[in-house]
Amino acid sequence: MIEITGLCKTFPGSRDGEPIAALQDFTLTIEDNEFLTVLGPSGCGKTTLLRLIDGLMQWESGDIVIDGEPVRGPGPDRAMVFQSFALMPWASVLSNVTFGLELRGVPEAQRKAKAMELIEMVGLTGFEHRYPTALSGGMQQRVGLARALAVEPKVLLMDEPFGALDEQTRRLLQEELLQIWETRRTTVVFITHSMEEAVLLGDRVVLMSARPGRIEEIVPVPLPRPRSSHISSVEASPEFAEITTKLWNRLRDMQTSRRHRAAGVHGAGTPAEERTA
Amino acid sequence: MNTTVKTDEAVAQRSPRPVAPPRRGPRVSVPVGALSLLGGAVLWEIVARLWDVSFFPPLSAVLRRLGEMIADGEILGSLGNSLLNLLIGAVISVVLGVGVGLLMGAYKKVEQALDVYVYALLTAPSLVFAPIFFSIFGLGRASIVAVVVMYATFIVIINTASAIRSVPVSLIEMGRSFCATDWQVFRRIVIPAAMPLIMAGLRLGMGRAVKGMINGEMFIAAVGLGALVMDAGRRFDAETILAVLLVIIIVAVATMQLVQLLDRRVTRWLPSTARK
Repeated sequence: MIEITGLCKTFPGSRDGEPIAALQDFTLTIEDNEFLTVLGPSGCGKTTLLRLIDGLMQWESGDIVIDGEPVRGPGPDRAMVFQSFALMPWASVLSNVTFGLELRGVPEAQRKAKAMELIEMVGLTGFEHRYPTALSGGMQQRVGLARALAVEPKVLLMDEPFGALDEQTRRLLQEELLQIWETRRTTVVFITHSMEEAVLLGDRVVLMSARPGRIEEIVPVPLPRPRSSHISSVEASPEFAEITTKLWNRLRDMQTSRRHRAAGVHGAGTPAEERTA
Repeated sequence: MNTTVKTDEAVAQRSPRPVAPPRRGPRVSVPVGALSLLGGAVLWEIVARLWDVSFFPPLSAVLRRLGEMIADGEILGSLGNSLLNLLIGAVISVVLGVGVGLLMGAYKKVEQALDVYVYALLTAPSLVFAPIFFSIFGLGRASIVAVVVMYATFIVIINTASAIRSVPVSLIEMGRSFCATDWQVFRRIVIPAAMPLIMAGLRLGMGRAVKGMINGEMFIAAVGLGALVMDAGRRFDAETILAVLLVIIIVAVATMQLVQLLDRRVTRWLPSTARK
């Protein structure tokens, strides 16, 4: 279980010195083996949230506690899949996948066996000695996923992992990710800016508002699982449409109230605390 | 482009076996380099014969003189001497250049402290320091080696430092995310990522090292190939000068080839399109 309470993170302002609040009083509990998707406009602090959970950054106040252990830095219980893939171009697919295990001092035979298993799982058997630059974007992100899964994390952190891919590759990978997650459950925190992706994959969708990043709403996704075998019919279901419509309405409201605020007009529905922000 | 991604994806789905790369057909390869050399040689011969000036002997005469010098052992002795100067100087330059460069690239403070000196010494004509070396090290090998180091080190430093700075932040963060220690990040990510640019610096540095070797030998201690050039110059013996020059060029080219060979071994992963 990940318990985030009262998390605040500000970045120093660029020139005028005015600090930017990326997250303000962010509180959220993520259950074990939950697939949580985080949705929000760009610049709302979703990626910051993920990096804080991974322990890559310091924060001002609040706590992140994973299974009773407060987060102080990167740990073996978490692994990240990066939007930019972040593969080492000088290392083969195999060496990229074994990277995390190697850092941990896992013996070579063992880490190789583990990597081969995962390479097979993500459908890259036969490519293990290729360099990443010889692979398509979709295949590169499969390597990124295999590398993260290789260290057997309790929490898989995914930072818009399919954001850089074209539509059909993205769909394929969504399907495969669901398949993998359905067979080997872990907690997943998945950042996205696609409503459809958030609903298709998630048990709950956390909708974030921008500047400062806060939880606007948490929308449960009661669509039945497993979903991987029939993602098209999942997306065609009325429940799916209902949830995405709800999310879209909220996102639109957020946009318009922000516009009104920017123009100095306080809309009737604007909450008081937003006006002061 | 989309289409290539699609086909790659399709391949990945269907056949797990790697597809044999399309054979780059043995197209009729024109040895442009060799032809150019041959053309240059012919041109040299013709121009020198037509335009009969005393300090521009034809290639054939130069080659004949080179043959004599090889036969009587004059070249080989000097060449060995020069190569030793070059080798010692090059090793010191690489160790010093890469070492200081790594520190400058990794630590902002070191860079701020040394930046101005490195650039000053890079642009300063290195021979200016010859008298200083001469007075410190005397008329021996040490002075020549010092000149070689002076010529070669700074370009290696600058390249290494910028190589370290240009390592993608995303990769360093990836390493930290997988719990790498600072040393592991340095050893497993920063060094390999910086390698192509470091090697580019070594290539430039070695070219300059050859220059430094000859200049050192000509103007400080009359030894090696540089001494042969100096002697011949005093006698206005153009054939000997050019014959030695040919040897120097061969040494320079061979040195560069050696570095390039090393470069290709170390950065085998670079896609061929990324090579110049």
